[in-house]
Amino acid sequence: MSIIVEVAKELLGMFLADARLTTATLVLVTIVAGLVVALHLEPLVGGSVLLLSCLVILVEAAVREAKRRSTS
Amino acid sequence: MDVAAWSVAAPAIGSAFLASLVEVVEAFTIVLAVGTLRGWRPAALGTVAALAVLGMLIVLLGPVLDRVPLHLLQLVIGVLLLLFGMGWLRKAILRAAGTIPLHDEDAIFASESAQLAEAAGQRRTSLDWIAGLTAFKAVLLEGLEVVFIVIAVGAGRGLLWPAAFGALAACLAILTIGIIVHRPLAKVPENTLKFGVGVMLSAFGVFWTGEGLGIDWPGQDIALVVFAALFLGVGIATASALRRPTVEVAR
Repeated sequence: MSIIVEVAKELLGMFLADARLTTATLVLVTIVAGLVVALHLEPLVGGSVLLLSCLVILVEAAVREAKRRSTS
Repeated sequence: MDVAAWSVAAPAIGSAFLASLVEVVEAFTIVLAVGTLRGWRPAALGTVAALAVLGMLIVLLGPVLDRVPLHLLQLVIGVLLLLFGMGWLRKAILRAAGTIPLHDEDAIFASESAQLAEAAGQRRTSLDWIAGLTAFKAVLLEGLEVVFIVIAVGAGRGLLWPAAFGALAACLAILTIGIIVHRPLAKVPENTLKFGVGVMLSAFGVFWTGEGLGIDWPGQDIALVVFAALFLGVGIATASALRRPTVEVAR
């Protein structure tokens, strides 16, 4: 039973290691989907928003964690 | 295979190979601890059982993936790759910056050996069972990530077999080196590999998510290389900025 729990934890940990990074990424994809599919924004503009925002989310997540560790 | 096909096949094979290399090194350290302390029978049995479970997982998942519409598959896998890849990359940046410690295979080997020795003191009768279970868990948990990466980088474009070949090549490489050196593979530049894999998985994530949303990337598959270069550049710059000590100006 403990193996099943550990496998479940491992699977969740693969995608939810940083809750804010996960939430921000999911919100971003939802927004880009809304822009491209619902509002018919030029797909390439949507793609650029997706790419650049992912880079921003990544940098923010790394800087936030570094700051958290340096203050604790 | 033409240049455009190689531009997406090579990153898929390369990502599967490098990611598997990292995961297999981690699993190998624990299996080696089990084998050294309790003999190779429980270590081999645990490993084979875990590989069988992982194989079953692939056999069960394969036909399911074939039934999912391509755009939906690309979107779901793309989002999962973004979450997984950016998570890896974030950790690799923090390790490269010295914010969190590097993975130490020698320390993991010592810790696993100590745990098994402690178990030996407490429960003599079922020791081989515990040793086998330890190997099983290590291979299963690390293997799950390999299975996900192989499926994720391979399924969107029918590259499952090349990606699986990349993973298998990594397993064989580590097994061969492990048999020769017969000690934890502490010299493998694990964080550099993780950095590279995080970059590739994040690039694949943006690419598949975009394709899933109906975005036609300029240059098609070549766009992957551009995304990877951007993630790499931003990752290196962030790690470098975080590494820099804060200078306080005295007035």
